Amino acid sequence: MSRKGESSLLLREFPDFAETMQGLAAMERMPKGVVEECREAVALARRFNRTVARNYALELDRRMQEDPTYLPWELVEEANRWGFFTMWIPKLFGGKGWSLSSIAPFVEELASECLAITNLIGVHYFGFSILAATWNVRLIDMISREVAEGERTGKPCLVSGAVTEPEAGTDAEEVELLARARVRCQARRVEGGYVVNGRKIFISNGHLSTWHILIAYEDLERPDETMIAFAVKNGTPGFSFGRMEKKMGQKGCPASELVFEDCFIPDEYMLVAASRLGEMGLLSRAARKANRGPRELGMQLIDFVVSATRPGVGAMGAGVARGAFELALQFARETEVGGKPLVNHEWAQCLLAEMYVNAALARLSYMEANYANSMHGMARLLGFKPLYYYHRALPTSVFDRFMPAANRRDAVTTAFRLLVMAGQGEEQERVASGWASLAKVAGTDLGVRNCQLALELMGQAGLRHDRRAEKCLRDAKLLQIYEGTNQLNRLNIFKCLVAPAAPEARAFED
Amino acid sequence: MIGMSEELRLLEGMARDFALKELVEGREERDRYPFAPLFEEVLAKAHEVGFFSILSPEEAGGAAEPVQALCLVLEELCREDASLGGAVFTAALSRELLRQAGSEEDLKKACAGTASPREALPAGTASPREALPAFPSFHNPSDTPLSLRAVEEGGAYRLTGKAEYVVLGNVASRALLPAGSADGGWSLYLVDLRGEGVEIGEPVLSLGLHACPAVDLLLHGAPGELVGEEGKGEVYFEAAVDRLSVAAAAASCGVMKGSFETALDYARQRIQGGREIVNWSEVRMILSSMAVRTKAAEMLVRGAAAAVDAASPGWALASRAAALQVQEAATEVTCDGIQLLGGNGYMQDYGQEKRFRDAKQLQALLGMAPLRKLRYIRRVVDGERPWA
Repeated sequence: MSRKGESSLLLREFPDFAETMQGLAAMERMPKGVVEECREAVALARRFNRTVARNYALELDRRMQEDPTYLPWELVEEANRWGFFTMWIPKLFGGKGWSLSSIAPFVEELASECLAITNLIGVHYFGFSILAATWNVRLIDMISREVAEGERTGKPCLVSGAVTEPEAGTDAEEVELLARARVRCQARRVEGGYVVNGRKIFISNGHLSTWHILIAYEDLERPDETMIAFAVKNGTPGFSFGRMEKKMGQKGCPASELVFEDCFIPDEYMLVAASRLGEMGLLSRAARKANRGPRELGMQLIDFVVSATRPGVGAMGAGVARGAFELALQFARETEVGGKPLVNHEWAQCLLAEMYVNAALARLSYMEANYANSMHGMARLLGFKPLYYYHRALPTSVFDRFMPAANRRDAVTTAFRLLVMAGQGEEQERVASGWASLAKVAGTDLGVRNCQLALELMGQAGLRHDRRAEKCLRDAKLLQIYEGTNQLNRLNIFKCLVAPAAPEARAFED
Repeated sequence: MIGMSEELRLLEGMARDFALKELVEGREERDRYPFAPLFEEVLAKAHEVGFFSILSPEEAGGAAEPVQALCLVLEELCREDASLGGAVFTAALSRELLRQAGSEEDLKKACAGTASPREALPAGTASPREALPAFPSFHNPSDTPLSLRAVEEGGAYRLTGKAEYVVLGNVASRALLPAGSADGGWSLYLVDLRGEGVEIGEPVLSLGLHACPAVDLLLHGAPGELVGEEGKGEVYFEAAVDRLSVAAAAASCGVMKGSFETALDYARQRIQGGREIVNWSEVRMILSSMAVRTKAAEMLVRGAAAAVDAASPGWALASRAAALQVQEAATEVTCDGIQLLGGNGYMQDYGQEKRFRDAKQLQALLGMAPLRKLRYIRRVVDGERPWA
């Protein structure tokens, strides 16, 4: 065997070289413009933190403690004025079309100031990601253009994602578990549409959103094979808001209950049904080739979403790790201990260095996951250099002239699904999903860790709301729970990244 | 528990009953303070049964119980609601400081109107306000320079400056305040909080122990009564820390127990993946690590408390080690305590998020943890033996 051939065989041994080095592989494929976009996104977030978040974060948190039912519309409107709700919607659909790679650094930056504000902005893209993952181009286009219109008119139009149910949290994140889950949100087929019954809980931004991307199940006995997604607009008869949760932190971003009682949803608002994805001719053949039945297609939908959003949660972890570090550093500079500034005590320097390391590790993790998702995830087409530059160079107005009409055609949806869904290999799905979980676990554990360390260092000062550090800890804890608990994510890391080295292993079957 | 006397067992049972009866219902609403009323009724009842005077000598109206008694009470109370534990601890700390200062007279004055735990007074005859000398119990005054200064004028002292985070400063009628003196050291002064020159701030919104409020005090030449000798604040304080660190650990241990018990209950009921999550092996691993750390904390606290009361060799270091170890473990155990409940753990309904906040707050009792660690090892380096 040639030396080259031997090398490539060696590199394919576990751990696969390409799999462990996402950044290296992405570097050569990544358009240079992405770097510039990341720089601009971070600068914009810093500007926002300085002019809005810094003064407002504590005030909002305090206000929510006083009145847990308060809805921070003024924040939604402010973020809308800053254009944050369309930045990462592709120009094809009327958005500003920033590179998806730039969202995570932006999120880290915002999160270094306030996680509640970050979540309120970021979770709109969670809703949008589920919408986008269905590749129902007609509805993506319609809803995106409403978001853009809301930005122009100053009447914010946000999108929420409704997945979690009272009895299905972890179960809703993985089809293996879904098969045994007690989900209750059912969509029954009727003439001209569906009737939905059930409740969704912990829905971030629920009360603040106009559109809700709802995950339901056609057959509650077989939820793993009958996942179905809808777009539900406020005012739809049978749909209402329930209670607002009283959370420990991230208080500025409401967590809502969504209630569906005999809620009729016409066919035109059905985004995708896993059981019927295979019915489309070409896709069916491609799906069979990729060995994906309804269940695997359901998992692919979940993976499309979480591969994009979990690195974002990791970035929130990196941000709060940094926020806590910065507060600790400031405290160490201001506080005199034993006749000299705390920052000049060797042990404090080591502690601050450790906190810096934690934030850096969190960042490295989400960047790797970001690279993995941009090469393998649902938006990988937009990373192709020619497409990227074409999309970037043309003004939105040009897209606006042609795209809405094209996007309404079913053929366009089919074409995109063929390219994106059928075009994604199992390996790609596995790698993107595994790295996303890794970034989520690493970033959020390190984030919470830094908050714990900051409070330990600051003692009494760290306990006070007016010193900010305690809020970091309260806010950060949620990161280890949403987008799949870190336990579910560890199992997913095993399934995606470890199990290839142990083919006999079965995940989720203990 | 080995070596626990019948009397202590009774006290433990009494504290347990009190906690279940008074601290479970309404916990969430009480924790909304300062946006909900202060739990004065609970404070009054705790005062009635003598929780605020456990360590006080009998001549000062206390029960002269051993530190073990205080630990048992704190553990049981904090299992349900650590806010009351914070109040009980602060009362014990300020009384211990008065005792260390050898000022029986001050102690009697500070404890006026308190009852012994064995003879509960009828409601209304005494107020917890009198029984609770406020104190900034989340700080070691030697850690950072003090803003509060005392100036002597013809044998009387006047205090000027800011006293931060004085626990129960808006509840008690008096505060025991550390203030710097001209020689660079610091002393303790009893200050009448309703007297002249005292400005009481709004309750400080804090991480945990919401119902055990703290306030910033601004003093403008407020009269203060020197407690013990001038410049010896640090000596009294460190002596009090020797004895009461283990009591701080007991409070954290109680929170750990509450968190574990709630997590176990939940894991038995919650079903994911078609089975009770208590049957997921990873959930068992987390539960086990919580249980082991909690049991270790209990043993540490009980061992150290017995050592303090018996003045066994190394008792002071035992007490301090217990606090550092248990307080940190409590922050980790309560974090897992939320995690096992997933999203529900993060919501106020299950009490787990409160325990997480309370545990982190309790870690700051008696001063910054890293500085307490350094003080611990300084004593060992200087020759104090941690074991025989």
